[in-house]
Amino acid sequence: MAAGFKIAEPLEYHRSFLKENCRPDGRELSEFRTTTLNIGSISTADGSALVKVGNTTVMCGIKVELTNPLVEAPGKGFIVPNVDLPPLCSSRFRPGPPGEQAQAASQFIADVIESSEVIQTEDLCIERGKLCWVLYCDMMCVDYDGNVLDACIIALLAALKNTKLPEVTINKDTGAPEVNLEKRKGLNIRKHPVGASFCVFDDSILIVDPTAEEEGLSTSHLTVVTDEKERLCVVHKPGGTPLSAEKLQECIGRATARQREIQKLVDKVIHSVKTAQ
Amino acid sequence: MSPMKLCVPGDKLCSTEDCIPGTGIYLRHGCIYSSLTGYVLKKNEGEELPVISVVRETETQLLPDVGAIVTCKVTSINPRFAKVHILYVGSTPLKDRFRGTIRKEDVRATEKDKVETYKSFRPGDIVLAKVISLGDVQSNYLLTTAENELGVVVAHSEAGAQMVPISWCEMQCPQTHSKEFRKVARVQPEFLQA
Amino acid sequence: MPDCFPHAVTFPFLCTTMPTDTKRVRGPEVSQSPTLFLCKHVAVLPSHGRRADGRQRDQVDVRPVFVRCGLVSQAKGSAYIEAGNTKLMCCVYGPREMERKDETDMKCGKLTTDMRFAPFSCLERGSWIQGSQDKDLSLMLHESLQPAVCLHKYPRSQIEVNVMVLENSGSVLAHAVTCASLALADAGIEMYDLVLGCSIRQNGASYVVDPSYMEENSCSSVSSENQGGLTVAFLPSLNQISGLQSDGEMNEETLTAGVRTCIEGCYKLYPVIQQALTKAVRRAAPPPSES
Repeated sequence: MAAGFKIAEPLEYHRSFLKENCRPDGRELSEFRTTTLNIGSISTADGSALVKVGNTTVMCGIKVELTNPLVEAPGKGFIVPNVDLPPLCSSRFRPGPPGEQAQAASQFIADVIESSEVIQTEDLCIERGKLCWVLYCDMMCVDYDGNVLDACIIALLAALKNTKLPEVTINKDTGAPEVNLEKRKGLNIRKHPVGASFCVFDDSILIVDPTAEEEGLSTSHLTVVTDEKERLCVVHKPGGTPLSAEKLQECIGRATARQREIQKLVDKVIHSVKTAQ
Repeated sequence: MSPMKLCVPGDKLCSTEDCIPGTGIYLRHGCIYSSLTGYVLKKNEGEELPVISVVRETETQLLPDVGAIVTCKVTSINPRFAKVHILYVGSTPLKDRFRGTIRKEDVRATEKDKVETYKSFRPGDIVLAKVISLGDVQSNYLLTTAENELGVVVAHSEAGAQMVPISWCEMQCPQTHSKEFRKVARVQPEFLQA
Repeated sequence: MPDCFPHAVTFPFLCTTMPTDTKRVRGPEVSQSPTLFLCKHVAVLPSHGRRADGRQRDQVDVRPVFVRCGLVSQAKGSAYIEAGNTKLMCCVYGPREMERKDETDMKCGKLTTDMRFAPFSCLERGSWIQGSQDKDLSLMLHESLQPAVCLHKYPRSQIEVNVMVLENSGSVLAHAVTCASLALADAGIEMYDLVLGCSIRQNGASYVVDPSYMEENSCSSVSSENQGGLTVAFLPSLNQISGLQSDGEMNEETLTAGVRTCIEGCYKLYPVIQQALTKAVRRAAPPPSES
């Protein structure tokens, strides 16, 4: 009965699979889980996407609001990304304010947006120094089975591509903005950042797209974010055991391949949504 | 054969005069109702009436109960007791973590006053034990290993190798051949060998 | 030219007196929904004849529901429900050890409920912090579910029910009750009965069943009598009401008639819910051998 072994000695259990170059769920070491995408299912959001990477499920909803630009950046709008890991998605999370992992994930996504320039905040300006858009991007994990960062980036990218800004005109007489919800325009998505996450087992074995269990047992994590021009946006390695330069190069290579796959998937789903309308 | 009947909580199954109540059901006004979603199972067990139960294939027993044999992992020890995590009830894995305590006097059946917890368990050991009480508000489940078949089934030596039992109170490391004390269970169950 | 946000522009630094939330990525201090600046106002909902979504008024015309069990891999049991545009999901964890030792009950388990709205679930963006509305709803959910769960079977343990509203298009409490009882049944928690929820919105002499968000929040100023909402949680097999919540003002007759209408609405849901559950069981495991 392998199940007994699995629960009593999970690390040994995983090692016995890795020795044979496979994983308990039947994947190869460098194989991602099946990724599916659903776009625009939430009508109360201005843009939304649901991503499933294996069991891990993340829903991203974007709400747009109007605000004043900062005095020091009069020509720029705001993007406010937040990752929520509610107790609903796994028994490891408790109710209350965001825990360490959720805070780190939010900051990571903010870094990805800033360094990849997926959207230029200048595009969100309506009238310089007076009025601009703020995009509240909330990524809600509803099923946590590892690799939530990759899922969040895909959900965010797809939701941004789905977001339509209503038309705003400034009334010449009163100076007040007037919004027309019927006339909407898509955002200008300048880059397509996609992440690929890796785990290191026993300081040497590299696996991609870890499940929650694999994440817990591994000695180090790594996330590489690249865009369509194969440029590195973010390399995130929070501590753990060191990684050789060759291994890192291997990860970057895998990440660029993953970027192409995901961009193709996003484009395909966006296209099918458009033709369905 | 007709397909087995499925029911949901609240479904009226039959009168208490037709069947003996089993599990996954409750009684109300002389009738048997289902309390689970599952298959309705009628079994003849030699009695006059068949026993009616509602069964789900997955996770039949959800909580450790008095008398149940549990598989646990030792998390910490001190001179008075060992703390464990219960992993299995019978052969059903638990999805959530439950904590248990094996007190010094419950380690073995004889010479209870000579028991030393350090010579019985070490953190990380896999232990077969029996639930003797649900404990009280302050404590965890109380477990015992005071039977020949109960005790340590898997243990690792200081060198990290899995040890082999050599007597009821000693285990040996196959690499260094050093001996360590444990309260060893008599049968080494095959199921942990995967 | 008057500015619509003079505060933020002139005194950008004064706003920091607000307690700051350091655990989230924060945006600007103030922002407003574009719906506040609409140039044309949205058409008023019809107060007689067909409803905005084509359903019948004054009849038990509930929205067709889509339900699924066992979607969340990490939970003991889970359910997803979609009624019109209202979408919510529920996960059940446990029975597990009581989180707080001093609350341990040796005789009986404890049911905890948590209901929250995703920030993008409503017309107006919601706050990240759970508001009093969420807490009230969690409490009502708890009251509706507790009588149905065989808590005495789970001594010294707790069972957690988490509900997340993904899109609020009205009648969320009613659907949350249904969804939560589905998730509990999916988790294999022993229950006396399922719990189904249904709500109505009374508007003078007429009423609408399973109101949408717009119907819930529109009020006609025609008559001041009998204006209100009612949500009923119902145990269909035991024929008992486990939760009843009403707001607004209704006279006795209208209220009792309303309760009856809600019960009728629950019975309409019942076969769909039963089917979803049995389907999940069949998918999880083939029937055991009868030997």
